[in-house]
Amino acid sequence: MFDLKKYRKKSPWILHYNAGSCNGCDIEILACLAPKYDLERFGVINTGNPKQSDIFLVTGPVTYRSRERLVELYTQMPEPKVVIAVGSCSCTGGVFRDMVNVEDGVDRYIPVDVYVAGCATSPELIIDGVVKALEILEQKTKEMEKPLKLFREATLQNSIVNRRHTALKVGEKDEED
Amino acid sequence: MIETLLILFAPLIGGLMYGFERKLRARMQSRQGPPLLQPFYDMWKLIDKQAFIVNPYHTILGVMHFITIWIVVAFIILGQNLLYVIFLHLLSTIFIILAGFSVKSIYSHIGSNRELQAMIAYEPILIMVAVGFFMMNGSFAISTIRENDTSLASLFLLFLAFLMVIQIKLKKSPFDATEAHQEIVGGVEVEFSGVFFEFIYMAKWLEYVFVYLLLMLFAGNNIFLGIGLFFGVFLLVNLVDNATARIKMKHLLRIVLVIGLILGMWNLIGLSYV
Ligand code: SF4
Repeated sequence: MFDLKKYRKKSPWILHYNAGSCNGCDIEILACLAPKYDLERFGVINTGNPKQSDIFLVTGPVTYRSRERLVELYTQMPEPKVVIAVGSCSCTGGVFRDMVNVEDGVDRYIPVDVYVAGCATSPELIIDGVVKALEILEQKTKEMEKPLKLFREATLQNSIVNRRHTALKVGEKDEED
Repeated sequence: MIETLLILFAPLIGGLMYGFERKLRARMQSRQGPPLLQPFYDMWKLIDKQAFIVNPYHTILGVMHFITIWIVVAFIILGQNLLYVIFLHLLSTIFIILAGFSVKSIYSHIGSNRELQAMIAYEPILIMVAVGFFMMNGSFAISTIRENDTSLASLFLLFLAFLMVIQIKLKKSPFDATEAHQEIVGGVEVEFSGVFFEFIYMAKWLEYVFVYLLLMLFAGNNIFLGIGLFFGVFLLVNLVDNATARIKMKHLLRIVLVIGLILGMWNLIGLSYV
């Protein structure tokens, strides 16, 4: 059959969000889209619209002001999607680590698929990251997109309610029955 | 037979035109550019994605927009009445405007608002073009216009006004404030996602077919002139798109209405004295 999945790789649309970065990495991302590196030859468009994008490029350590927007944008993106943390400070906090007003890195709030290091990271690295993310995007299946729910009964262990192993994917068969 | 095929494959032709245009624009900026079939890759990807429905009317109006514009293209290919085509096209634009107003997103509202204003700017010019064709051919029927000789020389001022309509309709700089990707993230299309965005995307391709089919009417029965016009204007539109910056909505209204109306009326009044 005609495999739709392989076309995901050919048209990744990017959403770029600045979660309080110093703008160094944002400029590098724009440099990727400019004539010299030309990410558009892979079909990449910088849409700026979460509802139509596949790749979420986040720069910056998550500041207190930006974390709600970050999660909001992430949830507004339709599945399948991948998240790339661009720059040291969005991977670990970088130079801002342990400061009072920042959370150290994006992955405290949303799951990250690819980490691109460097302060500021270079356009070549970002392109490598996007290409890596495309491989991951292709592997994401419909099953991974299904939410987990608590279907099984919770058990009592040493008089403590245990909810481990109660989570099942929606529509999955319960093998213990 | 060939007409049926043309109508059926109209979205595909539009998609190819869109892909070619992206390639051309990239080359003009000395970039490599995406592959020619990129719009179709986008299409398959969008079908495979999860779709959010904001509210049913929004979605249905988006699909209706696509269907009506396809019907418009079909009517042009079949050689129906030109006035009818223009008003049906107006209806399809109304659908997308209503869709934009039916959601709560501010960007969507601004986009609809701007789309309405742009419509006020270009609709009189389209109607004047139709009247010009009527004065030259004695009929609004597209099939008659296609059979007669070219009227490019006598409708030249209207042709110049029509070039501005092309820029607005295809959302090209300097008249692309209706879409304005950097400021209002696409305007009316902002809340569409997944397969429903695909309909809006394909409607955009059909818009290309619609505009260029109207353009080729200026060539009359001269096919080579028609093809020449198509390629010439295609290049010109993209050149202008690359070379100019976006102007504000009120400037768009003023420029297009003033210049377009003056050019159009001049042409029509001149024709009525000849
Ligand atoms: S990684 Fe460095 S250059 Fe990039 S946003 Fe953070 S502080 Fe700025």
